[in-house]
Parts: sequence; structure tokens; C-alpha cells
Amino acid sequence: MDQPFEDVWAEWEDLFGQARQTLASLKESQPAHVVQAGVNALFRTTHTLKGMAGMLGFPSFSRAAHRMEDIFDLMRKGRLRSTDSLVETLEAGMQALESGFDGLKRGRPEPEDYLQGLRRELGELEALARPAAGESQDLSALLDLPAEPLKALSDYERTRVTSALMDGVPIHGLAICLDFATFDDRLRRFSEGLARQGEIISTLPWEVPEEREGLAFMILLAGPSLALDGISVEPGEILESRVLAAPEWVPKSLRAEILAEPEPGTAPAAEPQPEPSPAVPVQETEILRLPAQRVEALEARLMSVAQMRDAVSGLLRKATQAQAEDPLGILGRMEEGLLDVQKALLQMRMVKVDTLFSRLEPMVRTLSRDMGKPVRLTLQGGDLEIERGIVGRLGEPFLHLVRNAMDHGLEPPEERRAMGKSEAGTLRITASRRGRIIRFDIRDDGRGFDLARIEEKGLAMGLLQPGISVSQERLHRLALEPGFSTLDRASHISGRGVGMDVVREEIEAMGGEILLSSEWKRGSLVRLSLPLSRVVVGCLKVRSGGQTFGIPLANVLRVQVGHDLHRGGDRIRVLGMELPFESLQVCLGQGDPPEGQRAFVVLSQPGGSAGASLEIALGVDEVYGRAEILLRSLPELAQVPGIMGGSLQEEGILWVLDPEAVLGLAMDSLMRRVAHA
Amino acid sequence: MPDQGILLLARAVSRDLLLAASDLVEVLPAGPIAPLPGPLPGIAGVILHQGEFLPVLDWAALPGETAPARPTVAMAILKRRLALPLEFLSGALEGGRENLKVEPPGADPWAPFMVCACVVEGPPLPLLDSDKLIDWLHQRRAGR
Repeated sequence: MDQPFEDVWAEWEDLFGQARQTLASLKESQPAHVVQAGVNALFRTTHTLKGMAGMLGFPSFSRAAHRMEDIFDLMRKGRLRSTDSLVETLEAGMQALESGFDGLKRGRPEPEDYLQGLRRELGELEALARPAAGESQDLSALLDLPAEPLKALSDYERTRVTSALMDGVPIHGLAICLDFATFDDRLRRFSEGLARQGEIISTLPWEVPEEREGLAFMILLAGPSLALDGISVEPGEILESRVLAAPEWVPKSLRAEILAEPEPGTAPAAEPQPEPSPAVPVQETEILRLPAQRVEALEARLMSVAQMRDAVSGLLRKATQAQAEDPLGILGRMEEGLLDVQKALLQMRMVKVDTLFSRLEPMVRTLSRDMGKPVRLTLQGGDLEIERGIVGRLGEPFLHLVRNAMDHGLEPPEERRAMGKSEAGTLRITASRRGRIIRFDIRDDGRGFDLARIEEKGLAMGLLQPGISVSQERLHRLALEPGFSTLDRASHISGRGVGMDVVREEIEAMGGEILLSSEWKRGSLVRLSLPLSRVVVGCLKVRSGGQTFGIPLANVLRVQVGHDLHRGGDRIRVLGMELPFESLQVCLGQGDPPEGQRAFVVLSQPGGSAGASLEIALGVDEVYGRAEILLRSLPELAQVPGIMGGSLQEEGILWVLDPEAVLGLAMDSLMRRVAHA
Repeated sequence: MPDQGILLLARAVSRDLLLAASDLVEVLPAGPIAPLPGPLPGIAGVILHQGEFLPVLDWAALPGETAPARPTVAMAILKRRLALPLEFLSGALEGGRENLKVEPPGADPWAPFMVCACVVEGPPLPLLDSDKLIDWLHQRRAGR
């Protein structure tokens, strides 16, 4: 893909991400001016998308973005009020655009209408917002302003004045006179201060008093009150501050009309406005866009410096004695600094899994409503961080998987009732991390895969041979074959025979794996395992059974090398506790070391199932240092119990232990010893 | 037989076999295989491929009589993330019914992970089905 296009796609991804967040925020109770700022931002986003799509030669996308832009325009002009059902429709619209965007990235042809599925809903909204002939209200004439500045108000500003007054919000005016030299900075400060109190509708040029020099402005603010606390004011800057129009000035007949004819589907107007919160800054996050190669080059350089640091560290520790603390101290600080930089670099690529989940919630809600299938959606692990690139690529696979679960998996409520299941289906999406592998489990409690039907279809398609028995795993995997669908007729949700193969292709292209399993009438599980490209782990380096291992330092309580030889099942008194001893070799299935071991590491797993930590003395042959290592995960087929992943080191592969799993293996082994004693 | 396109003629555990080129990412000269720190059924160890660990098939774990291991000369990398150590590479064939005589796997011990048997010269050669092979490994893993 061209670099310029990659930049464009990345920018679109950001725009969609921001739109999702803003739409979600519209469902929360917020002051009117914050809602207005959000709607304005969405209007700008769709406007940008429309322009970019047109420029890139995607006319259908541009048309669809234009339609969404129009709806946001109607909202910002007060013709449509933000309600949950409106926001859900808008979310569905943005989602349709986002799915279309995923298709464009993959070079798919444009559909005729991206918003096909929402034609009815959007049409209704447009009809609702359209004023009847001659009924367009303009209350800006109520503003206590001279004729000239009044004329300068734009149509949009007039609709905002009207909307605010209809909602019972007064319009305040603040006239200020600023010096030529500093007016832009001062005006910005005034605007920022006032924006915290309400919606700035307009900043009009104002007449400069005769005795003054400079530039004067009249700022129109819609808000419950106007206060200058917190705004630093220079002497002589304020000319006047007054109410320009109050809701009670609206003629009674007009108010009655407004109250009598609320817009269908909207909340009644004139609810008391919440006190403006002093800390509701409408912040825009600055996004720094860098070519990934530059970050990768920096990471690679940093890793080589880190390796040199490890080498120097080892030499220094060997060469220096207790009195030479300074070089080691300097080295320690250098290590901390380097690690911070490494982590900060890795952090630059990461986003929360929630950014992916936020796309799913509105879709599930819409599907649930459209299909008449109530569903309980549980999302877990949203706080985990994964690479931004992975989130971008997972969008479409997830949409397919969730659609499939809702359409094929979950039964209609009456069928579920008849089976003794709860009426509402359950869809549980969990993200978890094991070393460098991030795992997504998508579970539903629906009907599961119809393996008999899959086998029948597989035979018909020539993917299976008659008379040869096929495993359940193989049958599940058939669902991932191109063009494979057990539905005879495609619904508008799924069943077109495209999708699952795209999911498999995308996951495998990322170096990941997809596994399907199900139980007939009980539910199904789709598991996606994806490798994160880089994770730095601080490890203690040990030798055991002729191999080298890293133990994550976060789980090491103490290291001890004594004269006594210990064997599995021994009890050791250390750190004021009596801990069970087990050899790492035994945990990994390599048998007891014949002569016992002198060295051990106190391995700890804080917060076990009962909330208490679990500790064990883990026997090793030798402890020989520590290192920050770049961890590579093992693919599913090569996953060894107790091992999180590995790292290529000068001495070969350093296998990194999964402390929780090793503790489990050690406890199992100790139990067996007790049982055989 | 579904059209498999180009087929690679190779040898492993002293047995000639066919691999569909469409199943492969690439074929590399053999390098050292790092043993895993614990026993895994069907997996001989891992290699590093494009910065990632890749499991290597242990042919000896497959059913049937296995000849003693011989030096590996190449490593075939399957799209589904598995490396197959090969003892010999004979060349490539064009697949399809018009070029090859195809037979069902019959009683071949490798039948569970074969597409079919193909007659090139001499005895029929197994054409490996990478999906079935990997499913079989997953099953072995699950049943461990």
C-alpha cells in the first residue's frame, strides 16, 4: 500500500475513533454547551470525511458522509435534539461508514449506498427536522443589539440563539476592548474562560469607544450566567456585560406553541440546565503521526544499547567489590532511564482494547433491536493495551464474528424459552494477555455450530470425502473455508458465505490463530490468539537442566544460594516463612535433579484466587544475572506449560517462565509427592 | 482431487511426499531447531522465522513405521505457521487430474492428514493436507 494512503487511512481511523467517543459521550448527562461542542465536532468530522473521500475518488462514501454531516448539522442547529434513540441511529450510521472504510482499505469496490440499512431511520430524522413552509423560527431579533451587528449573525448563529432561548437558556453579551498588540491572545483567553460557562454563539466586531484605541468585540454566550471569575482581566478591557435576551422575552404565544409541539421522539424542552461545571474543558488531543519505521529503528537501536548495558553491567558486577558502589549506582540509574525510554516507546504504539470494544457495543444494540433478540453483552479486559495497528485490523473480523454470533448463534427469545434458557442471550467478549499473546474469546450461549449440517455442506462442496470420519475440530474449521455457509439464504446480517474466511485470513495474516469450538444447543466459542510484536520484560536469568530461563522480576521475592542441598517436597525457612521447595526441572516435566539443588528463587504470585499471595521456593541450578529482554511469544502449537515465551540471547534461547503457571505446576507436583508418600 | 496447482516433491523420514505450493509460505535451508523446555506431542522444537517462533513438526510422532532420522536439508514453512523439516527436495510437479493419477489414501497410516495419494512414478505418494495435519496436532495437544 502507498505510504500516502497509509497516512490517509490512519487519519480516518483517528476520525472514526474520535467520533465513536464523542457519540458515546452524547448519551451521558452533560451541560448543553458540552453537547453542542460534541455535535459540532461530529459535524466537522463527517465534513472532513466527505471531503477526503471525494478527493480520493470514493463518491458513494462521500455521499454517505455528506448525509451524516447533514444530520449533525440539523442537530447543531437545534432542529434535532440529542436523545438516546437518535444517538443510536447516528452510531449505526457511523458504524456503516466505518465498515465501508474497512472495505475501502482492502481495495473492495464501493457499494451504491453505505447507509442502505438505515434509509428508513435517516429519512424519518430528516423529515422530523425539516420545518414546514414558513414555520422557520428566528428569535435572534430578540437580542438587545443594534441593527448592524444583528445583521452580521450567520444563519447558524441565529438558529443557535433561537434554540438556546427555546431551551430556556439566556443569551449574555460581553463587550471587550483589547490592545492591537495582544488582542488575538487576549481574545483567545476570554473565549476559553467563557467556553467553560456555556456555548459561545458568536464573536462580533464591536464599536471602539472614542477615548480608546484597539479592537472591540461582543461575545455572545448562551448559558445560565456569565461570570468573569477565573479570567484575568486587564484594566479597561471590559466595556460591558449584560443579558442580551432572556427566555421570558419570548412571546407567550410562541412559547406555548413550542411547548405544545415538541419534536416527536425528543425530550421536552426547557428542563432546568445543570450548573455549568468549572472543569468541562472541551479538549482536543494532539495526535503526533510518525512513520512506524522511524519508531522501529529507534527501538532497535535502543535494544542494542540495552544489550550493551547488560554486558557492561555483568562486567562491572564481576570486577567491582562492595566498596565500588558509584559505578554500579550510575549503572543502576542508567538502567532505569533506558527502561523508561523503552517502555515509553512501546507505549506509543499502544491503545486500550476498549477502543475496539467501543465499536461493538452500539452494533450489538442495533442488531439486538433489529433482530428482536435481547442480548446481555459482557466485555472484559478493555483496559488491556494492544498495538494500534492490531485494533485497526481487528475491526472487521470482530464485526463479522459478533454478527455471526447474533444471527446464527443466539436463538430467538421464544426458542430459548422453549429450551429452558433465559430469554436474553449472552454474548461475552473477553480480552486477556499471556506474555506476548493477546487472546480474545467470543462466547455465546446460543445453539452452537450445527456440525451435521457443516459436514453435509462440506461433502457437497467437495471439501470432505464420503466415508471418511472427520473430527469435530476439522468440522469447526470448515466454517472458516472461503464461500462456506450453512445458511441457504443470506440475511442482511450474515450468511453470505463471506466473512469467516476473511476473519481467518486477517487473523493469520497478523501471525495469529483462530480456533472454533461449540457444544450443540449450549453455545460456541471463537478464540483469536494474536502475537503482540514487542514486550519488554525484566527477568532474573537462571539455569536449570541445561537450559536458560528468565523469571519475571515482578514475581521474584528473593534469591538464595546456600550450602544445603534441597529436594522437591522439602520445607525451607526463608523470609520468616516456611515455604515448600520444588525444582523447576520437575515443574517442566524433566524429572528430579539427582543430587538436589542449592539455589532457589522465591517465586510469588500476588492476589491468588482467595486474594492471598502464593509463594514457593523454586529450585534452579544457577542464578547468573538479570536482563531486560524483548519477549517473543510461542504460537499455540508450541506452547509449553509454564512458559510465557522466549528471547534470543547470545547463549541461545532464554525461555521466560509464566510465574502463575509455574506455581500451579509446582503445587500439582507437590500434591503428587504427598499422595505418593 | 481439488486442484492443488504446483506440487513440491520432497522427502521426510525416508518417505517421498507431495506438498501443495499453495499451502507454503516459503522453503528455507535448514537451520538449527531449538528444543522446547518441555515435551510436546508432535513438535520437535522451534525455529525463528521472521522474528517469530515457529513450531517444527516431529515426523516421528506421526502414525506408521518411521525410518531413523536423517539430516534435514530444508524447512518448508506452511502458511498455517508450522515448519516441516525435509530430508530431500526432488523438484516440482504440476498438479491436477490431467497430470497425475489420483488414488484414495486407502490404508496409508498418514491417511488422516492426506488429500489423496498421487502416482508419479513407483508407489503412490501422499499429498499432505496441511489443515488436517495441524488439526491433528491440535487434537494431540488437547488430548495430552
